Amino acid sequence: MAKTVNSGSIGWGVMRQGRGLWSRNAVKGEQVRDERLRRDGKIEWRSWNPRSSKLGAAIIRTSGDAQILLPEPGSNVLYIGAGHGTTISHLHDHVCGSGNHHAGSIVSVDLSARCIRDLISLAEKRPGILPVLADARQLHAYSIFLPNRVPWILQDVSQAGQVELMLKVCNRFLSQNGIALLSLKAASERWTDGGDEARFSDAESKIAESKMKLVERIDLRGLEDQHVMYVLRPQ
Amino acid sequence: MELYWDWRMARLIDESGSVVDEAIWDGIRSPGAVADRLEKMRENRMTTEARELADRFPESVAIPSAPEGWPDLQKEDIVLMEQAALILARRGIAQAAGDGDRRLEHLVHSVDELRSAWTTMESRVVEWAGLFLIDLDLDSERKSIPKAIASAENFSTLVSNLELENPLFSPSNEEWSAIHGSAVTAVEMSARINETETAIRNQVEDYLPSLSLLLGPLLAARLCVASHGRSRLARLPSSTVQVLGAEKAFFAHLRTGSPPPKHGMIFQHPWISRSPRWVRGKISRMLAGKASIAVRIDEHGGTPWTQENISEIEKSVNSIRTRHPKPPSKKGR
Repeated sequence: MAKTVNSGSIGWGVMRQGRGLWSRNAVKGEQVRDERLRRDGKIEWRSWNPRSSKLGAAIIRTSGDAQILLPEPGSNVLYIGAGHGTTISHLHDHVCGSGNHHAGSIVSVDLSARCIRDLISLAEKRPGILPVLADARQLHAYSIFLPNRVPWILQDVSQAGQVELMLKVCNRFLSQNGIALLSLKAASERWTDGGDEARFSDAESKIAESKMKLVERIDLRGLEDQHVMYVLRPQ
Repeated sequence: MELYWDWRMARLIDESGSVVDEAIWDGIRSPGAVADRLEKMRENRMTTEARELADRFPESVAIPSAPEGWPDLQKEDIVLMEQAALILARRGIAQAAGDGDRRLEHLVHSVDELRSAWTTMESRVVEWAGLFLIDLDLDSERKSIPKAIASAENFSTLVSNLELENPLFSPSNEEWSAIHGSAVTAVEMSARINETETAIRNQVEDYLPSLSLLLGPLLAARLCVASHGRSRLARLPSSTVQVLGAEKAFFAHLRTGSPPPKHGMIFQHPWISRSPRWVRGKISRMLAGKASIAVRIDEHGGTPWTQENISEIEKSVNSIRTRHPKPPSKKGR
């Protein structure tokens, strides 16, 4: 195996090369959003654009170990605010792999029927993705797909009360040594005098009062405006 | 003792953490069956296994989240759950078509788009024809011009249909067919607008009976779409309902302290738009309050309002008007 290729490896199915981020394509020859594909022996790498994926942006921007931002292959994970599934597809490359040979699962919650429609067609090609049409605030609507606590949660919803929701979700679903990523959009919180920065520090104080510990604050500005990714762990 | 369950099994666990009793689902493990079980659980109902254990140990407490050491999902469990998730997600999407909000949203936006396209098209056709027909009155006959062009076979029949004198210049054949084509499209569009508005009227009379009686079906539909759905409109304070559609003025008020808007979309209602300007604010505040009540009745399945209720409201509108016959004097400010 060429060592140069794996030099930037971040876990099993993701690697970094220079500025580019790549995930190991689980459905060979198929693109999800017209991204670049690259062959490397038996592996096909699919370009993961950090500008259209906050998780991708966080992996590029983190000052810590990027590996902790990704779940282990074969985990059962929860993704709230799944959108049209761009990030989900890369996560699937890593967590499930081709034909879900890792036996992982990604419970993908979104409120919009339009998004779930896209996720269904994604899930048909990529076993391991569970699209759930539900309001993120109604935990019981997706808890049925999560009989066990999960080691990895990502929340990316654009509505007020994102921090409170994340804390509630972690309390209910996150395992003891799990990790939670909160993508916070300043514009979605209530308007305050201090601008974006005030809203971010407001979020941070809420986290400080909770049972969660703030591991890192990753600024996504430049890749994703007005966004910050918080990395949380149970205390 | 605590009772835990998921779609696969139910367990009773005592204080020390040991499993006292267990019931495992032994039905046929098909995706459809799993989907049905999950749907039942989503409605906060117990599975048959959980019910069985709860009946056997009435003192047990039901806990929704799984404890440490709960059996992991096996690969075949995940496959089943994944297919069940697809079934449930498809059911959810199918439900969306029964959602009155989504249907209204398309109808209202479609009317808006048609109307803006029609305005452009219509004014182009009228000006275009006016270029050649210098004697044509573009204002008083405006409404009939597109129809007249659309129904004329060629330019000279148009001239004689409109009873005008032959102009100095006539459009070439190709030019005429371009004018004629635009006119046909404009006429068709206005028919399409009427159709869509009829569809809105029919739909709103079922979906928002009280609100549409109070405000008229089209305004009721517009408010409902602007507030992102009936249930949200029912939850909004009536002060927000009053200024829905005047967001620009409202946020300018918050930012700069300019006077707040007195009315948003609700201004379209003749009780407001045909009242003297100094009572419009009062009437719109009152009407917004009534609109909030009406939409709450519709949302929560109350008895819809009748013409009687509306006449009563109209009486109080009139009394506001009679109480304030003259504009307030500026000295008082």
